[in-house]
Amino acid sequence: MIAAFKYEWQRLTTLASTWWITGSSIGVSVGFTFLVCMFMRLNLPGELKGDVSKDDSRFFLEAGMTQFSNVDPFYYLVAFAIAILGVLSWGHEYRHGMIRATLTAVPNRTAVWTAKFVTIGVWVAVVVLVSCLVSLLCTLLWFGSLDFDYDWGELFLSILQRVVFSVLVTWLVMAATELIRHQTFALVLLYLWPLGVENLLRLFFLIFGQFNQGINDAARFMPFNAGSRIIQDFSLINGYESVDGVFDTPLSALGGFIIFGGITALAMAGSLFSFRTRDA
Amino acid sequence: MAVIQARGLGKAYKGKNAVSNLSFDVRPGTVTGFLGPNGSGKSTTMRLMLGLDSGVGTCTFDGQPFSAYDVPMQHVGALLEAKPFHPTRSARNHLRMIAAPNGIPDHRVDEVLGIVGLSDVAGKEPGTFSLGMGQRLGLAAALLGNPHTLILDEPANGLDPQGIRWMRDLLKAQASEGRTVFVSSHLLSEMALMADELVVIGRGRMIANGPVEDFTRQSSANHVKVRSPEATKLASMIGQRLAGQGSVRAVGPSELAVVGLTADDIGDMAFDSQIRLHELSTIQASLEDAFLELTGGSEEFQAHAPMPYAGQAQVPPPYAGQQQPGQAQGQPPYAGQQPGPYQPGQEGAPWGSPEPGSQQSPQHPDDNQGGRA
Repeated sequence: MIAAFKYEWQRLTTLASTWWITGSSIGVSVGFTFLVCMFMRLNLPGELKGDVSKDDSRFFLEAGMTQFSNVDPFYYLVAFAIAILGVLSWGHEYRHGMIRATLTAVPNRTAVWTAKFVTIGVWVAVVVLVSCLVSLLCTLLWFGSLDFDYDWGELFLSILQRVVFSVLVTWLVMAATELIRHQTFALVLLYLWPLGVENLLRLFFLIFGQFNQGINDAARFMPFNAGSRIIQDFSLINGYESVDGVFDTPLSALGGFIIFGGITALAMAGSLFSFRTRDA
Repeated sequence: MAVIQARGLGKAYKGKNAVSNLSFDVRPGTVTGFLGPNGSGKSTTMRLMLGLDSGVGTCTFDGQPFSAYDVPMQHVGALLEAKPFHPTRSARNHLRMIAAPNGIPDHRVDEVLGIVGLSDVAGKEPGTFSLGMGQRLGLAAALLGNPHTLILDEPANGLDPQGIRWMRDLLKAQASEGRTVFVSSHLLSEMALMADELVVIGRGRMIANGPVEDFTRQSSANHVKVRSPEATKLASMIGQRLAGQGSVRAVGPSELAVVGLTADDIGDMAFDSQIRLHELSTIQASLEDAFLELTGGSEEFQAHAPMPYAGQAQVPPPYAGQQQPGQAQGQPPYAGQQPGPYQPGQEGAPWGSPEPGSQQSPQHPDDNQGGRA
């Protein structure tokens, strides 16, 4: 197993694409926060001072730190950018015929599969952590004169939620890429499904929900809709939404994790079976 | 030293057998050529040997399957792809990547880059490499762990003549150090110079295996060339002497090709009959002759010669009027003297070759067990 990790670490760190995807994921997210905060600050009158309530502090710091991903229907930019690494991790194997070189270097397929998912997962987690921390600094750079009510526990939980969501998104597309063995199609799927297909379905559910509320409520079980509940607790329409039960409407973060995590686990199990049994 | 033992290797795609019950041994200290027409299953066989494809049968390297080795590249080096690398990862980093899990130190990476002549481009992206440079990098990867066994699929593809000679010398040197070298190639002339032994397959089945000399010795292309102003008379005498155990064929107005008699026999016969000879020489079959003869009809994809242009002259048979009914042009004019393709089971058939009646391709699952190469 250690051999597989050594291989995967070398594979990941010796590719230029790893570094520019990582750098641009952090750069774009931090840049987004910096520009939005700058725009807001420059358009606010005079000196900015005074206490900020606990709820407002929590909302504002989390929004700045995570590019407003706590707001439905925003999506978490970093997760969808860094997940490209996951697509490439399997995509390169099949697109460039690397899989045979890989398996002659490390013949244990389960070890290769595990090393890929774990290494990429850890890499994604670190990228999300760095992005969050630097974005928080950018937020404070422009709004540091305000007296925020810092709840470090809440902020840490927000980061943890982004880490979990981002790693799950990455693992899901990694599993999909291994199953379909087509890098380009997997990349298209990464964006088309959550940002196109699910939003379209959600709209249909909303329309048909006028006749039957149950249909509208069912939209929360779609994979990425459920996944987004891990990180979103504020709606542009309803503001902060109170959650009654794990799987009620709206879904709780735990409910979203169970559904999205379950779908990801199923896809990963399928990809492991596929990788172990199909020809290289 | 290492020996490769393949037993009952088989693989089917959508119900069609790509490789069927292949068994053979590859001995250390030799270069063993792996020959077969396009689509005959050579690459599939090599992948099966390394456990890269799912199939039936076993293959061991020094008694262990490839997947059982903790540091496999220190035991078996493989080259299976023409360009088996990411186009933007430098050649050095590519080798460092595959060296890392196999306990191979970084300085060995620079050593093998020097061996294959890529030191100057070690830091460059191999996406810009020619096919030949790509093959050299693949070969460097195979040599990285200084393994006792090399499995190479068409390593000469894309190499220039100097590169081919270099590769030949390299592989022969590896074999002379006691390593086991198993190499497929379409370059038969190259294989003739390099290989000590052969494994020949067609349509996924064993056709023959054994030393190269045995392989070519059985070819009907081995013959005695006779030129005489009395060729017709001499041909009749030779035909009577052969009595069906060979053939005599007219290849020109005064030239014969004789199979089944030695040059000494024919010379004595001509002397005894006061027949003048202008030339008497033994023609050795090339590996290409033997290969084409043995694998005739077992190609997966057969091309056809282009049709002659309208009005283009046809080459007449050597002797007008000698054509026998039902006999194709260029066939021997002497009935009963079959010079055609090597017939399995005929006297002197190579060991490990198909059983009689199998028509160059084993039909029974057990008919190629335990061959040696």
